[in-house]
Amino acid sequence: MEDRPTDGADSEEISEGFLCCVCLELLYKPIVLHCGHISCFWCVHRSMSGRYESHCPICRHSYSHFPAICQMLHFLLLKMYPVAYKIRENEILEQEKKSGYFSPQFDAHVCGLHSSQELSQLGNPAHYSTTISQSNTCSDETIVLQKNCNGKLEVTRSVAVEEKNLPQYNPNGNCKQVSIANVLCAACKQLLFQPAVLNCGHVYCATCIVSPANEVLRCQVCQALHPTGFPKVCLEFDHFLEDKFPKQYSVRKDAVKIQQVHFQHESSTIRSTKASERGVNLSSEFIGEILSWWSHHGSKAHFGVGCDSCGMLPIIGDRYKCKDCVEAIGFDLCGDCYNTCSKLPGRFNQQHTPEHKFQLLRSSHDVMLSQVTVQLEGGSSENSENSSPPSIFPGDSQENAENDLAASISSNDTLEYEHD
Amino acid sequence: MRSAGISASSGGGGGRPWQSTTSVSSSGKRIQKEMAELNLDPPPDCAAGPKGDNLYHWVSTIIGPPGTPYEGGIYFLDIMFPSDYPFKPPTVVFKTRIYHCNVDSVGNLSLDILKDRWSPALTISKVLLAIRAIFTNPDVCKFFQSILDNPLVPGIAHLYLADRAKHDEEAAEWTLRFAR
Repeated sequence: MEDRPTDGADSEEISEGFLCCVCLELLYKPIVLHCGHISCFWCVHRSMSGRYESHCPICRHSYSHFPAICQMLHFLLLKMYPVAYKIRENEILEQEKKSGYFSPQFDAHVCGLHSSQELSQLGNPAHYSTTISQSNTCSDETIVLQKNCNGKLEVTRSVAVEEKNLPQYNPNGNCKQVSIANVLCAACKQLLFQPAVLNCGHVYCATCIVSPANEVLRCQVCQALHPTGFPKVCLEFDHFLEDKFPKQYSVRKDAVKIQQVHFQHESSTIRSTKASERGVNLSSEFIGEILSWWSHHGSKAHFGVGCDSCGMLPIIGDRYKCKDCVEAIGFDLCGDCYNTCSKLPGRFNQQHTPEHKFQLLRSSHDVMLSQVTVQLEGGSSENSENSSPPSIFPGDSQENAENDLAASISSNDTLEYEHD
Repeated sequence: MRSAGISASSGGGGGRPWQSTTSVSSSGKRIQKEMAELNLDPPPDCAAGPKGDNLYHWVSTIIGPPGTPYEGGIYFLDIMFPSDYPFKPPTVVFKTRIYHCNVDSVGNLSLDILKDRWSPALTISKVLLAIRAIFTNPDVCKFFQSILDNPLVPGIAHLYLADRAKHDEEAAEWTLRFAR
């Protein structure tokens, strides 16, 4: 957990808490789920069901929204394990290029800044769009592993375009020293104590999250809604903070204790046990749970399609599909996000702009009913997908299948009309 | 955005298939990681590794746990990893015949974590431990609880509940006959 001089990937001993439970490697672009467990961006995305509620790979706690990347953890890992993280980045980028789907790119300038500044920048939609084209434009980059005069491994990238946007590392530099300034609560601006991460990826002390009565929890930084009640403490992150900053952490701990005595606040531990009970209940009867989900939402769900603003997957209710986004992954919004907030760029680096036009798609009952039968024919329908051969690129046959499906939808009672 | 787990035939509402992003290399890397971990710290009485050159086809052995009618038996299992592992469960088949209500006559295994209760955080090591656990405690209730899960060998489950001694005797005899 301590800062070590980084001689290369081998000397960067990665704390077990920062290994992804899915790919078993260093977390890359970490996402903290509602239950407090961490996984990589792509690992979470691929673990999600798309048909009904998804479940945490570790505790099976159900969730319906694909959370945004926790940028605080992202930059923290980048600082702590620069070499290993860089290697991961290159691997993932390679895979992304193959698949044609990209994860969000973050501006490396933010890396050296204090977290509070980071957060305020990230709240600004324009910030996303400045870096959005990065992964597309640097297709001709190469990774050069060099031994410098100290015999230390240094990873450098020669990138034809936008080199200044990419982080440069000095293995002996102080830039990767993790300081308290990197791990401040978005609300109290003090060292995080029992950090909890909202759906938007912003990190708060669990005690700093104020949940308005009868209202959905809203992030104070970016104003995004946190749809599923109170998030649980991210324990791995909490342990890291306790290890890393023992003195300051215990000061914070005492302060929070006193505060709790004073105000008789409901303690975060009570909240988290409640949440864990909920998780256990939900996981007890898996099939029954799916069926009850279906009876509630099945007829209104858009299977396999998620909202690029709030992350709801599958979208339940109205779905607005962008007609102008060319990316293979598409750009969609749920009814709420279309009507209220931002027209932020997508979760997958889509170059969506507010000028793009949307098409309203309503889910069709008939198609959904056939889905139900598919679902009922086997709880093991997941297994049948195993046998399908791997395809590196989305093939023509799949395209055709989708077109057929789209045609069948429009021939049913689907309403399609244009919106600006 | 589109979800990952949906194939073209079942994705409704224009959902695009997403399985393609799990490149063979990422599943291969994960399998290699598991292999290294298994070599370092294998679960008790279990061993597993690739059958030949193919990383996606493993063979495994489990030794029948002491105190069960399977004691002394050596059970061979075939493990096949799907290309989108770990997002889809591996297929595990018994190669050695066994008298067990969760394993049918061709070796198919009924284990919830290998079907609808699969989680990408599970590893082969954990799967082997779970299989070892059903040697000791056969999952009998499954046959009466769920309609969706086809009972594999309900006869053995009935006998296990009705006449445990006879069940164990039969199982021990099969162990002698097939697993030594």
